Amino acid sequence: MKLTKESILGLIALGTFILMSLIAPGFLGSNNLSNFLFQLPEFGLLALGMMVVIITGGIDLSITYVAALSGVGAALMLTNGYSIISAIVVAIIFGVACGAFNGFVVSKIGVPPILVTLGTMVLFEGVILAITKGNSISGFGDTYSLIGNGYYMGVVPLSILIFIFFAILTGVLLNKSSWGRSIYMYGNNEIATLFSGIRNSRVLMKVYLYVGLLAAISAIIMTSRYNSVKVDLGSSYLLQSVAAAVLGGTNIHGGYGKVIGTVYAVIIFQTLSNGLNLLGVHSAIVDVFIGGILILVLTLNFFSDKMKSKKESRVSSVS
Amino acid sequence: MKSLFKQKEFSIIAIIIVLSIILSFVSPVFLTIGNFIDIIEANTVMGILAIGMTLIIITSDIDVSVAAVTTAVAVIIGSLFGYLPDSWLSLVIIFIAAPIIGLVIGSVNGFLVSKINIPAIVVTLGILNIINGLVLYFTNGRYLNSTNFPESFLAFSDFELFGIPILIYILAIVAILTWYILKHTFIGRSVLAIGGNQQSAVRVGIDYKKVKLFVFAYMGFLCGVAAVAQTAYTTAVDPNGLLGLELMVIAAVVLGGTNIHGGRGTVHGTLLGVLLLAIMENGMILARIDTFWQKVVTGAIIVFAVSYDHISYKRKQAKLAKIEVEV
Repeated sequence: MKLTKESILGLIALGTFILMSLIAPGFLGSNNLSNFLFQLPEFGLLALGMMVVIITGGIDLSITYVAALSGVGAALMLTNGYSIISAIVVAIIFGVACGAFNGFVVSKIGVPPILVTLGTMVLFEGVILAITKGNSISGFGDTYSLIGNGYYMGVVPLSILIFIFFAILTGVLLNKSSWGRSIYMYGNNEIATLFSGIRNSRVLMKVYLYVGLLAAISAIIMTSRYNSVKVDLGSSYLLQSVAAAVLGGTNIHGGYGKVIGTVYAVIIFQTLSNGLNLLGVHSAIVDVFIGGILILVLTLNFFSDKMKSKKESRVSSVS
Repeated sequence: MKSLFKQKEFSIIAIIIVLSIILSFVSPVFLTIGNFIDIIEANTVMGILAIGMTLIIITSDIDVSVAAVTTAVAVIIGSLFGYLPDSWLSLVIIFIAAPIIGLVIGSVNGFLVSKINIPAIVVTLGILNIINGLVLYFTNGRYLNSTNFPESFLAFSDFELFGIPILIYILAIVAILTWYILKHTFIGRSVLAIGGNQQSAVRVGIDYKKVKLFVFAYMGFLCGVAAVAQTAYTTAVDPNGLLGLELMVIAAVVLGGTNIHGGRGTVHGTLLGVLLLAIMENGMILARIDTFWQKVVTGAIIVFAVSYDHISYKRKQAKLAKIEVEV
């Protein structure tokens, strides 16, 4: 039996989890485990969004500021006395609107995503700063904080259920819907996709809208968990989400990527940062670890691809 | 004359002139030589980095680790100051050590991009994370002030020739050197050739891996130079001082007419791009616009500039295709 890339990753995730529970004191404590589950969804949602963009061969550097901007939207509604539902709706509208802006410039004008999102990253950051004047907005009430801190049936954190829902939704959309299949096709070969009768710009537009939606959901969970919002809400997740998508096996040039791989990668990162924290490692060093892992994985990928192609060429020369 | 108007750089000059006229009405201080020297001196670091970034963007890659690398080198030379004697010799040591440290980090980037084939954005994001983490760990975010800087370095940073600060001369040297490399050396021509059409360049016999390695290593080298300039300008080392500068650098390069698809870019265009951003920042301060809005304006300009660049690129491509059909 041959293991797929994803199942190997699953084993690595299991391995790091076991390793951390052996060496990190209190890792398996119920307090820490519930902490672990509460931190996972916000990061996981952003990583899923990043994965979808990377499958198209792009990248979204503005994702954390989109999240922060939707968080600000929700916060403004809540602090001005509107209901929770309307706050959530506004957050989603903000996220999708930011996505629409990115999507418009990428799909209709055709500018490379990295440059667009580099620009919108600064733009959205500026908008947030202009709205909040650099201060944090806080105090959203107890009911709202249940989204990020509450339990379903008293056991399972509510936010992890939201994450599982969106992970499954992303998986189903990518694999079963024609939009999802077009995303893979576009990532593999843009021109062939266009010539097979698919409107590339529509596919891309929807990708950025979907990323905006995921960022908004992540923002709702984050704001609810922290009970405050600031311009740097979730900004540390930017590189981590790229790293998680890539570690999860998503091809950075586009065309390949699986939800389950990204989920495993998210679990690995969360386990590492949680465990290293418990071991008393400086949080800056955790960043170093994540950057190092990202480059290491891609280097290993390069060599394993090289070995594979060598083997293949040998087989073909024999036959 | 017509070709002059058609040049990309011309439109930037026009914008700069219009902006300058408006700003001279807003503030009488703006159109003075002193203010202009201040503007250029304050943006020396950005200028040096943008010149290096021009080469990278010409090969249609990107480097987002420049600010982090510069900070790292600045932190290293800042801590080196404590061990150096107070003589001109230590100045020489700094000027040799800083570019070499930068060169090494840049070569790591270049190696990963060219030999291991990892996309430049991922490599440099990873390196950015690693360096920022290490800098934060070793400095704890602490500001390093000039108390243990050698007198000779402080004297150097205050040095002026013909009333022009020394930093501007450094920028000029870097600009002329890069212009020469790009225009008159084999490796410089290869940079443009690869950006223009990688396949044809390879078929002509250009080793594109070597060229990629060169552009990133040269970028690292300039980061080292920029680190010295930054330390001299602020006479302090601030581990967080350059956060996010890489975006401004990329914006300046794109504004300066370097094609984001590679193959086209000039040093003087980039310098004009830097000048435009610098004047805008200076103008917004003089016009007392809220600092929070400055980011909005910068972001909007980046998006606008890359969109405009792409639209004109597409038009040109369309024209090319038409000629082929007619022939």
